[in-house]
Amino acid sequence: MDALEYFQVESPEPAGAEYYRKIVGTVLQDLDLLKIISKLHVFIDPRIPIFVAVGVIRKLPSLIRVRDTGSVKIEDRKATISISDETYLASLVSVLTSRFGKDRVDQPDRFTVIITSDEPIGSDLEEVPIADPREGIYRDLVYALQYMAPEGFKVRRQDVRSDRFYYVASEDTLDDMMVRTLVRQKFSLMGVSYDL
Amino acid sequence: MIFEPITYTGGVYRHEEMTELIEDLGGYIIQRQVIAGDVIIQAMVPREDIDLLRTVARPLMGTIAVTPLVGTEIAIVSPSLEIHHLPHTSCDVGEYLRRYGAKTNMVGLARGFGKRIANLTVEERDVINEHDCVIYLLGNFEECIQQKFPVLRRGVHIPIVITGGPSRDALQQIIDPPVEGYVGGIGRLMHRYRKPEELAKLEEIVAEVSRVLDKKRVEIAKDPPSVSPPRLMDVIKDEVEAIHEVTSPTPLTVQITGLRVKLPYEEYAPVLRDVEIERGIRIGDIADVLPSRMRNYIIVRIKPYSETKIVV
Repeated sequence: MDALEYFQVESPEPAGAEYYRKIVGTVLQDLDLLKIISKLHVFIDPRIPIFVAVGVIRKLPSLIRVRDTGSVKIEDRKATISISDETYLASLVSVLTSRFGKDRVDQPDRFTVIITSDEPIGSDLEEVPIADPREGIYRDLVYALQYMAPEGFKVRRQDVRSDRFYYVASEDTLDDMMVRTLVRQKFSLMGVSYDL
Repeated sequence: MIFEPITYTGGVYRHEEMTELIEDLGGYIIQRQVIAGDVIIQAMVPREDIDLLRTVARPLMGTIAVTPLVGTEIAIVSPSLEIHHLPHTSCDVGEYLRRYGAKTNMVGLARGFGKRIANLTVEERDVINEHDCVIYLLGNFEECIQQKFPVLRRGVHIPIVITGGPSRDALQQIIDPPVEGYVGGIGRLMHRYRKPEELAKLEEIVAEVSRVLDKKRVEIAKDPPSVSPPRLMDVIKDEVEAIHEVTSPTPLTVQITGLRVKLPYEEYAPVLRDVEIERGIRIGDIADVLPSRMRNYIIVRIKPYSETKIVV
């Protein structure tokens, strides 16, 4: 857990806190989230009972556009994309087919995509977004937090906003005021402000 | 004759010699597994003959190990079958106990999680009670264990071994009334047990379960079952042809005072009751043949000598 700038697990039971420290470490490592999160504070009090995790995310990758997948050559009604990064190839082809039609998009080989259109193809093709890696990261993050929290804590409140996130869970009804107070309090322990 | 549970591990080549020797010595083969070129035989053999078996095993490149849990069926209770509790801890414990010869069954509770909401259904309770011993794998906090355990143990009358994150002493303090065994420092984790200190914890569970079962065996020895379960297993194997058609790894699971027979109850219970063991004594005379809560199996509970006044 050295990869994080700040990492604390707080609990009235020290032995339990040590277990949760191990659980959080394993889950973040398994889901490859150590490079995504920079600060994390976990608070767990079985007496209430409540589980709170607040954290800060590092700078996230931006939208992936057509130009990020390779070089784009536009010749009036024909465009040729030479793929250099295959990571988002599937979503590139699906975006192009929905935009131009299945019969207009051809992939003669693994690294070439050719578009033929009735209309002249604009240079804005390069700027078309094809994937948002943040979506997957948010999904993984919430999944990881669900996975860390005790299973019986089914009532939960969560939010991922810009670079900050929180996850509060309990097996009893969550009181809004308590959630607000705890989230603010735990963010302030990390030296970060959060307006809920 | 005092029987000792052993496991023979060796190659397929000439392993029949070992099988025949065990049978000739009056021992019982509980399970034989052939995995590719390897053979694992779990058996109950006369204690004084173990050295002889070792001598015979040596030229076959096989080993004989005394595995105290052979001939026992143990329930491992996990609060749920969700990713929070499986596969780690539950499967690690189950797999480790199997190495020592136990037949383990995982009982994933429908609502075993949570502090206030934890619950044990009647079916789960009955399934647990069909075993020789139960291991509860609980979580990391004393507060939760203290509140939920009385609910999870309700109606369970077999020996209980409890494990959890708090230390053994802490567990002993919070569990009231006391249970038969405690192993602390083994709570919910998300990784496989491989570090030496983690493996030591698994060893501790094996030792604790062995101790608890030994105590149970001593109690049972005061009023022994009318027939030994491995012997009854052999009789059923010889007399009930259908058992050889069952594809389960252990069609007959030996317990300390009974057997689980993996045949449909309605069809085979009358057949089993009618099987003759010796000199006109039938299984129905010395055992209760009951429907199991596990699938449609049969559970045979051998009655003690004090009840039947018969020993075969």
